[in-house]
Amino acid sequence: MVRDSVTRDRVETLLRSVPGRFGSVLHSERVAARLGLWLGISFTVAFATGLFSHFMQHPPGRLAWPSRPVGLYRITQGLHVIGGLATIPLLLAKLWTVYPKLWQWPPFRSLSHAVERGLVLVLVGASLFQSITGLLNISYVYLWPFSFPAAHYWTAYLLYGALIIHVVNEWAKVRRQLWTREQVEPREVVTARRRFLGTVAAASGLTVLFTVGETYAPLSGLALLAPREPHTGPQGLPVNKSAAAAGVTTVIHDPGYRLTVTGAVRTPLSLTYDDLLRLPQHTVRLPIACVEGWSAEAEWSGIRLRDLAALAGIAPDAVLTVESLERGGGYRSSEVRPPHWNDQLTLLALRIGGAPLAPDHGFPVRLIAPNRPGVLQTKWVSKVVAA
Amino acid sequence: MKNGVNAPRLLGYGLGGALVVTGFAGLVVDAHLTDPLGWALWFGGLIVAHDGVLVPLVLLTGVAVGRMRSPSPVRAGLTVAAMLSLLALPMVTGLGRRADNPSLLPLDYGRNLLVVLGLVALGTALAAIAVRLRARRRRG
Repeated sequence: MVRDSVTRDRVETLLRSVPGRFGSVLHSERVAARLGLWLGISFTVAFATGLFSHFMQHPPGRLAWPSRPVGLYRITQGLHVIGGLATIPLLLAKLWTVYPKLWQWPPFRSLSHAVERGLVLVLVGASLFQSITGLLNISYVYLWPFSFPAAHYWTAYLLYGALIIHVVNEWAKVRRQLWTREQVEPREVVTARRRFLGTVAAASGLTVLFTVGETYAPLSGLALLAPREPHTGPQGLPVNKSAAAAGVTTVIHDPGYRLTVTGAVRTPLSLTYDDLLRLPQHTVRLPIACVEGWSAEAEWSGIRLRDLAALAGIAPDAVLTVESLERGGGYRSSEVRPPHWNDQLTLLALRIGGAPLAPDHGFPVRLIAPNRPGVLQTKWVSKVVAA
Repeated sequence: MKNGVNAPRLLGYGLGGALVVTGFAGLVVDAHLTDPLGWALWFGGLIVAHDGVLVPLVLLTGVAVGRMRSPSPVRAGLTVAAMLSLLALPMVTGLGRRADNPSLLPLDYGRNLLVVLGLVALGTALAAIAVRLRARRRRG
């Protein structure tokens, strides 16, 4: 019995000594506070832009997003994805800095300490989950059984909720470390910290430098590690879902093709491809801005959706649904609410750069509208329904 | 929990707690989409992979690098190289390529990663030389 308790004491002493064995001066509250501040800002940007993207795709009730500024979604989603990638180095550095705390002994000092650590576990798990599944998703590697948008969306609430609680708990430390001047530190500690933070910032900066060209074309030559190149694809434009993947390669060339306009209309329309070509054509320069963060601009020509609506006698406050020849799939149709379809930039496009749309870009007709996620720019359009 | 309870603190706990509950509730309500078991495996698996594999490897590398004569540039270079490699890894594997859509992953990511790592190595070497020269000048 006595020997047992001696052994237990030794083990106890050993366990208590683990956190102190991490020798680097960088496992410090000050480094953690600095990285924590950077992470707090980037997670806030990611959460805000992510919610914006979600509610743009699933607008609650009658909420109608504005159709301008034209490139707004392109910027918010670029921030979400490129900013998210740049967050990964910050996150890994932060977790490394506080890693000794993982081995604190006893693991739980009280019930409230246990709850606090449980929430830190949620925060760490959710941060890793969001970063890594996000990275894999834009690389088109789907190794999971869940729907990425649903899992990424709900996990964002876990992350941000646990983050707010963590910030409340740690705020006094952040304030002490970052806004208190009178700290006396050995010079080598200051130098080591600056080097480390500089290294992490460099990793983040290089991440941006080597990827941002997938949405900011002037830097496309530097986009060595980006999953897209904004000039690569049929007609010099990237494609998300090909005509083959959508199963429409034959049906889009059917000579019996008609674009029909039905629902709450005064005059139902049924137009052939040639009829569409005879209507007044307009040319606009608009980006395709994908939820995956890439974007590419093109010159689109076709008929204004509002001209077609006027021809069918649709009320200006109607909600239009644009349907594809695609049989199934989550994005075979999309809703176009009044601010978007009344915008003169919103087209049912027939051409890119003067040539008929390639099958992968939605031949014979696709929707193209300003300030709108790419998945809602419905391709292979055969029907417009007003409600 | 440590520094007493006041209004902003309670507000933070309330808001944060509500978001956490919303997240878990959403994962359960949307179970047909989120596959809670698969989700939990990824969630836990990433924590285990990070805390149990990645960080120990980084710590061991850190110990090895610490024994070098001027470790700082090497430490910085390896950190940047490892982080950029992690970013590139899913693209380098090419698992996401699809025959019907050549505009997905259109680049040679293996070659590009080597170019990037070469640049990082070059920067590291230059920094190491600068450190040596500065030390020699101080001594001389």
